[in-house]
Amino acid sequence: MLEDDKKQILSDHPSLDGVQMAVLNKRMEAICRKMSNTLLRTGRSGVLNSARDFSCCLVTADNALLSVNESLPIHVLRGADMMAAAMQQFHTELKKGDAFIHNSPYHGGSHPADHTTLVPVIDDDGIHRFTMVAKAHQADCGNSIPTTYHGSARDVYQEGALIFPAVRIQENYQDIDDIVRMCKMRIRVPEQWWGDYLAALGAARIGERELMQLGKEVGWDTLEQFSLQWFDYSEQLMISAVKKMPHGEKTIHTRHDPFPGAEEGIDIKVRVLVDTDKAKIEVDLRDNPDCLPCGLNLSQACAETSALLGIFNSIPGDVPTNQGSFRRIVLHLRENCVVGIPKHPTSCSVATTNVADRVGNAVQRAIAELGDGYGMAAAAAIIPPSIGVISGSSEMTGGPYVNQIFLGWGGGAASPSNDAWLTIGHIGNAGLSYLDSIELDEMRFPMIVKGRNFVIDSGGYGRTRGGEGVFCEFGPTDGPMEVGYVSDGNETPAEGVRGGGSGSCANQFRKDPDGGLHQLDPCAQAIIPEGHTIVSYSCGGGGYGSPIDRDMYEVAKDLKEKWISNETAEKIYGVIVNQNGDVDVSATSLKRSELKNETP
Amino acid sequence: MRFAVDTGGTFTDLVVEDDLGDVRLYKSATTPENPVKGVLDTLTLAAEDYNKSRKEFLGGGDLLIHGTTRAINAIVTENTAKTAFFTTMGHPDILVFREGGRIEPFDFSVTFPKPYVPRHLTYEVSERIRYDGKVIENLDESKLIEQIKELKEEKVEAVGVCLLWSIVNPIHENRIGELLLEHLPGIPFTLSHLINPSLREYRRASSTVIDASLKPLMEDYLGGLSTHLHEAGFLGRVLVVTTQGGAMDAEDMAGSPIHSINSGPAMAPVAGRHYSNTDSGIDTAIIADTGGTTFDVSLVRGGRIPWTRETWIGQQYRGHMTGFPAVDVKSIGAGGGSIAWVDEGGLLHVGPQSAGAVPGPVSYGKGGKEPTVTDAAVVLGWIDPDYFLGGAMTLDKVAAEDAIQNYVGDKLGLDLHESAFAILTVATENMVHAIEDITVNQGIDPRGAVLIGGGGAAGLNMVAIGARLGCKQVIIPDTAATLSAAGALMSDLRAEFSATLYCHTDDFSFNSVNEILSDLESRCIKFLDGPGADSLEHTIEYTAEARYPHQIWEIEVPLHQGKIETQADVEKLRKDFHRTHKEVFAISDETSEVEIVGWRANVSCKLRENTNLKVMETISGNKVEDNRKAFFGSVGLVDSNVYRFEDMKDNVRVVGPSIIESSFTTIVVDPGSEAFRNTRGSLICEQSS
Repeated sequence: MLEDDKKQILSDHPSLDGVQMAVLNKRMEAICRKMSNTLLRTGRSGVLNSARDFSCCLVTADNALLSVNESLPIHVLRGADMMAAAMQQFHTELKKGDAFIHNSPYHGGSHPADHTTLVPVIDDDGIHRFTMVAKAHQADCGNSIPTTYHGSARDVYQEGALIFPAVRIQENYQDIDDIVRMCKMRIRVPEQWWGDYLAALGAARIGERELMQLGKEVGWDTLEQFSLQWFDYSEQLMISAVKKMPHGEKTIHTRHDPFPGAEEGIDIKVRVLVDTDKAKIEVDLRDNPDCLPCGLNLSQACAETSALLGIFNSIPGDVPTNQGSFRRIVLHLRENCVVGIPKHPTSCSVATTNVADRVGNAVQRAIAELGDGYGMAAAAAIIPPSIGVISGSSEMTGGPYVNQIFLGWGGGAASPSNDAWLTIGHIGNAGLSYLDSIELDEMRFPMIVKGRNFVIDSGGYGRTRGGEGVFCEFGPTDGPMEVGYVSDGNETPAEGVRGGGSGSCANQFRKDPDGGLHQLDPCAQAIIPEGHTIVSYSCGGGGYGSPIDRDMYEVAKDLKEKWISNETAEKIYGVIVNQNGDVDVSATSLKRSELKNETP
Repeated sequence: MRFAVDTGGTFTDLVVEDDLGDVRLYKSATTPENPVKGVLDTLTLAAEDYNKSRKEFLGGGDLLIHGTTRAINAIVTENTAKTAFFTTMGHPDILVFREGGRIEPFDFSVTFPKPYVPRHLTYEVSERIRYDGKVIENLDESKLIEQIKELKEEKVEAVGVCLLWSIVNPIHENRIGELLLEHLPGIPFTLSHLINPSLREYRRASSTVIDASLKPLMEDYLGGLSTHLHEAGFLGRVLVVTTQGGAMDAEDMAGSPIHSINSGPAMAPVAGRHYSNTDSGIDTAIIADTGGTTFDVSLVRGGRIPWTRETWIGQQYRGHMTGFPAVDVKSIGAGGGSIAWVDEGGLLHVGPQSAGAVPGPVSYGKGGKEPTVTDAAVVLGWIDPDYFLGGAMTLDKVAAEDAIQNYVGDKLGLDLHESAFAILTVATENMVHAIEDITVNQGIDPRGAVLIGGGGAAGLNMVAIGARLGCKQVIIPDTAATLSAAGALMSDLRAEFSATLYCHTDDFSFNSVNEILSDLESRCIKFLDGPGADSLEHTIEYTAEARYPHQIWEIEVPLHQGKIETQADVEKLRKDFHRTHKEVFAISDETSEVEIVGWRANVSCKLRENTNLKVMETISGNKVEDNRKAFFGSVGLVDSNVYRFEDMKDNVRVVGPSIIESSFTTIVVDPGSEAFRNTRGSLICEQSS
């Protein structure tokens, strides 16, 4: 049903008051939470059960995002709506008991490693009411190499993943075994995939069950009415949020590092217009390069989501993220653009992270540059080897293993009021993922983690500090290990804003048993022999505002806690401390005015 | 005679059970600067009531069970000992990273939490042990001794030691313990493999440093308590309630004080288990304890109190994980003091902000401006403004009306009563949400459970919550106002022992498993011969922590016995796992094998015969049955019966709308519900059929 038709039908239905709205919203949230809980607890691969790389949401029958559980932001702002629409486009008759698998980046999917299970909720009269969406990143998706981020893939054929554009995988609540067999023949460690499929399906089915109960309890018309009003309510909150922002336009230039297939690097231009009179925000991504012969191109879902991310990071946290608040945002994309709408067979293997991060960060930087107190600095670029996909074969794992590990990342962006959240990872993750336990990884895989710590002086300097980067060293203990990673930020750091400094750059080495370091490429499938290790440095995040405006006592604390060195405290922050670590106030004000004069 | 004293944030509750089994309740103000005084104050109050001198009164007591918020308060206010952290070389930031995770993805106004031990007091020890226990780098003792000297210079007051894989091979941790004793005598320390032998270094490290940081102050506090009680004439045994819903001797608690965190709320489900059994016969219960600012929910499932491995001090991901299994208690900011407000989009919210004790609700007349749940209850006629807390306080109804009209009614276009009712409705929904959160996690269907209400503010909407959840019954026990202390009185002496050993149902290592199990058994027996020597009876329960291959979150599966001898036993374990997994997550994978990661034994000793705790009856005399106008959403403003709880006759049903008042609380029976007092003394509420 179209929104207007629905309004017509429901014109007789009494509108819900603020109390009924609050109650129904909580019920909807609870349903998404139940879905997420199931996925987290029952997922088999580390990427689900320890990194929480999944999302659950609820979409209306006319394919508008209604309710989302706290999920990785890059997963859910846009995409669920497009995938649900693709499901309806390809399957004109939806029946109770249907389930669909979807990962096509050409039909609303984020990237092929994110398998989405879609379950249409059909009421007892056979009417399609809502669609439950559970998206889960797979440990493997059948790529031509053992990684779910194939950075150098020339096109989807070289990438190699099985692509499912909304393919029916259950009918009458029974698996369609043809599809399952195909997956088991193509996806590495098939029983792990099978376990994860069950987890995502279980989540969607639990959502379906709960929503059916709610529909029977309060009436489906009430739920339709709720959706309409919830969108209006969210739009209202968005309007008041935008009206409080600084009015203006800003274009930000940024750059993704050179990668295979993008040897010149990718220059990205993002124009942001905040119109407080109309209470609208526009983001224009059209003036950017065409799609490239590599895996870095964004899917449409990721291009749109990354722009939205920068906006939602810059407005108060209580504006709901749904179709209603999205009405105040206008996105300009173009076809066949690296940050736009890709055409088959363009590869979007790495669409959820690298270039998407650059776009999202540019949006929040643009808003920061429009006025102090708004927007954010840039968060770290990824994916360093410490978050890479490891694979090999060993006795310990009873044969081949492949999985993404989440050993360590940092690099949060400074906000106007707060130092960065340290373990943010990247803007699209927002720190929601768990980090691996060293003991758990060493027990599950033939590996040893020699070290993991934050790196001193690696966060962007500023009035508020960018998050530090992470050092990590690990290697195999039983045969060689392949580590796949795609580490942007080796050249272009996460930028600071309003006088804040950039974070440190990423880097990676192979280390010999005798300690010799060998530089590794930023995008590679590195083979690490037993006894050797891989050394990974993740990016630091950008700072906000001038470091000489940082509270001097906070700087002294940073120094004592070894986040910054003595030299940085003095030369960058202009803070002088005595032997006990206490601030020397007069020496500090002298030093700070000196620094102020140096930088006009 | 037995005493249970629960020191809470605002009140110190005392429950006295005399030798005839009669129970009396007392409340006095908590004295935060010297909590022992608050304990003695309530005992003085009780002695007066019994017409005895305090010395004589205490002399008749053989057991005192104490719940305390001392440890948690010290952590929250950052008043614990200056603590250093020893960790494996290369891993200095275990307490900084935690396990990642964050809530509210778009809110960047929250500061990243500080590590429990600052980085400048963290020391990396040169050593390394592998996952299988093999030492791959020896402990560098001379370097360690230098580091211990630095601790002295830093004037460190406690030390936590957590090395990677010490749970498999504790040789290095033990050696560090010896060197600390030798080079830093008098400074307490905690070794991770002893305090919490479980997998995952952050959780274990966190347990370790929290425990160490509490040692100096809890030794002082518990030592002081025992001494003062002794001086005041109490010659019996002093037990302290644990986070796991049991009790420990005070001196043992001083040696592992982390077990006293959350000591109070852990007792509510113990009481809940008792009342669900005596008053309903249903073995699954939801226990909701409502105070002024927080609403604590806990559970009983199949007669057992479910635990969680993830206990946070403070908010999830923003606080510190204790790393300890604990009675699963979910707390939210909701209570009588929760503030009602309308946002810019026109949506009504209640809480999480609270008016607290100061200024308190508007009707208290102490400067509160924004309307609260209590104010709404006054406006609705549910709370009698002239008879609040048994008449101890008079409330300003007009001020409450103005506040609700201004802050809520005008903004929502609702009249006064509708607005007040809306506040209660949203508060109820928030509480329902909290209950659903924990029941979802533990796989419990509220429709098969009874709801047990405790705490001073429980009565306002417990019947409504029960109806909303579809619970079979709502029980408000006679001890509701001091539910946790009542639970303490019912608690058993308990200890828990655990060990890590990985195995697989496909290739079961019978010998190693049975070795571990018999070691756990002998530790239980040692406990029975020691602290448990005087107990009437005891039980030992064994559980396995298991999961499907590749999963990483274990669930607990009870073992039928302390041995696994045959392939049939293994098969039984596998089947039990499938069933439990299905119960909790709605799915199971029957063809799959199962991995077991940890093994536990819980020993509990019954200290006294089961008695039917019954609160002594007093006759109110002054206020008799009458009625007043009260507002309910479904029927509007109607005449509602008002009863005194003490004057109600056993098993005689009253029909909603009714209001039942006691000196401790007000219970609202909504239209469509009815209630009666059972012979044991609890109020039982049900939906009218």
